[in-house]
Amino acid sequence: MEILIYGVINSVTLVLMALGFTLVYGVSRLPNFAHGALYVVAGYLTWIFMNRLGFNYGLSILFALVSTSLIGAAMYQFVLIRVRGMPISEIIASYAIGLAILEGLRWGGLKGSTFTLPPFIEGSIEILGVSVDFQRLLVVVIGIIMLGLLWVFVTMTKLGLALKGMAQDERAALTLGIDSDRMAVVSMALGSGLAGVAAVTLFPLGNIVVEAGYNVLIMAVAVCIVGGLGSWTGAVLAAFLIGFAQILTVVYLGAHFQVVVALVSIIITLVLRPSGLFGRQKELEERV
Amino acid sequence: MKRRSGSFLVIFFAILMMVIGSSHSWADKPIILGAPLSTAFLYGWAAEKGIKLAVDEINAEGGVKVGNEKRKFSLEVIDTRDLEPGVPVSEALLALEKLILEKKADFIIGGPVRSEAALAAMPLLVKNKKVSILTTGSLTPKYHATVAENPDKFKYCFRISGEAKWMVMGDLVPCLEDIGKKFNLNKLIIMVQDVAHARAGGELLAKTMGDKGWQVLGQPLVFPTGATDFSMGLLDAKKKGAQVIIIWMDMPESAILLKQWHDMKVPALPFGVIIAAAEQPGFWQATDGKGEYCLANVVNAGNVPSEATPWTMKFVDAYKKKYGLEPEGYGTSSSYMAVYALKDAIERAGSIDSDKVADALRKIDLNGVYGRIRFDPKSNQVIPSLDPAEGAVGTVFQWQAGKRIVVFPPKIATGEIKLPPWMNH
Repeated sequence: MEILIYGVINSVTLVLMALGFTLVYGVSRLPNFAHGALYVVAGYLTWIFMNRLGFNYGLSILFALVSTSLIGAAMYQFVLIRVRGMPISEIIASYAIGLAILEGLRWGGLKGSTFTLPPFIEGSIEILGVSVDFQRLLVVVIGIIMLGLLWVFVTMTKLGLALKGMAQDERAALTLGIDSDRMAVVSMALGSGLAGVAAVTLFPLGNIVVEAGYNVLIMAVAVCIVGGLGSWTGAVLAAFLIGFAQILTVVYLGAHFQVVVALVSIIITLVLRPSGLFGRQKELEERV
Repeated sequence: MKRRSGSFLVIFFAILMMVIGSSHSWADKPIILGAPLSTAFLYGWAAEKGIKLAVDEINAEGGVKVGNEKRKFSLEVIDTRDLEPGVPVSEALLALEKLILEKKADFIIGGPVRSEAALAAMPLLVKNKKVSILTTGSLTPKYHATVAENPDKFKYCFRISGEAKWMVMGDLVPCLEDIGKKFNLNKLIIMVQDVAHARAGGELLAKTMGDKGWQVLGQPLVFPTGATDFSMGLLDAKKKGAQVIIIWMDMPESAILLKQWHDMKVPALPFGVIIAAAEQPGFWQATDGKGEYCLANVVNAGNVPSEATPWTMKFVDAYKKKYGLEPEGYGTSSSYMAVYALKDAIERAGSIDSDKVADALRKIDLNGVYGRIRFDPKSNQVIPSLDPAEGAVGTVFQWQAGKRIVVFPPKIATGEIKLPPWMNH
């Protein structure tokens, strides 16, 4: 039973980590390698708003999410826009920004285990004999809510539909009057905001550390490659595959093999199905 | 004749001026201490602070007496990053080489911090004839065993902090036996980080406690550096009926383990043989008190307030005055002490020559922050003891009501061990 419960929790954790990365890539074909850095920034900003500026927890989260979204939008508007359409340059530029942010935070004093966020709800509960703390259950709830909200946004709002149009065919979207750069800014802001949501949901389980940024980036990339770059359905499915594989590895092989799972899954995917589970568009391109 | 004596006087005064000039420049030239430390982690930054405090104190008193002159210490810290996940050992070696070749360090103090890096650095120290005093992080018994196997070759390599073998056999096993007798506990599970010292220590502890009649539940559970979820291991501990959880992890994420332990109300006493996160004074606030009852070993006394020696609280107070908080954990007092040990050795040697200073270090007998400081003449390892009058003492403390209370060894204990309320004892 613990495999099932913690498998689901781990999988939704991966969904949360990867959602922002998938959204940005899906809409603007921009691999945002600063995703992990934005995750840490959101957590650290929440901590600062709460502990240094004295705001309450809810307001701190709100300000941190808005700030992270603005940082993401600014990243695109002032830097990434100049290398748009050059995949290698996009990766190098976004990774360089991420690296500068993370190492800058470390240099600025973000080190040690004293930077933490309080859980939303204290305590734990027994589910079929397996004890689970409320914060982990909230991770699942928030993960499902975020998926639902995202679905509503891209299928029922004008802005969401414009983003979807961009994701499907950028040139066709341009002919319909959709400004591709504006949409890319919006997608970066949204993706950064989603990294922020993941941060404020997951950091209460541990500490705000710089290393989390690198870890989140690796996990997000693994989920997106296995699921198929840009495919949200694929990302969710891949998160569940990797999430359960990790838990099964911990139980049957040992916890120290856990980190290998994500990397091995990338290699297997690239060898057997380079476009990922749901990367249909890329698959078609490959066939052509 | 006049011309010859005039030339002689000119040469004499020229030589005299050169001698005076050179002696003047030596007196002005500081003794450079190179500190290769993983500064983003507790064992790195705490060591850096400890070294800085000692250097400032010594320099404020005029410096170190080298022969007839007083020379000040100058500190060069370099970030080896060797405690960070995925950083190869070669990075630490490059950093050390930079300290020696570019920064012209006269002595090496502190790290490398990771055991693997410290072992790999030994030939580099020998090649460059640099006296090095390890003060933090590296606990592997292999370090002083390597020196003992070839004392002439590795004569410059010293360690003034504790090592894993004594820590387990001398400190932790007796402490665990006391806990077992006092609370009638005899089942333990071991959780270690996937690094050399933790794996070796975990296996040693499992074997030793098994021999002592304790029930060791399975093989040590190994978690990767940077792991953020320990729930499966804790559920395993709960299921198997563990009464004590031995934790051996120097990564900050070990705080997550303790939070999960508290949230799951696992009925077992967490005992951090090495648990960097729980050592720090800020741990209580960072976990909202969820780490209460956690036992933590800080390797040497002085890393937590106690009255081990008259110098202990003097050091604690000086640290608090300079940095605004108590000494933060393993590596703080030993790094501070290493500078004083080096000062003592240089003054006795009357030189900064590596061979002379190494010989003087081997003969040191100093009453320090954590007891009597002497090095084993063969292995260059600080001689440990449970009595500060006899050797370097360790410290195990427990978090109780927001305070770090020293509970072992009995000679320096300031309180008694308590069990969490959800343990049925």
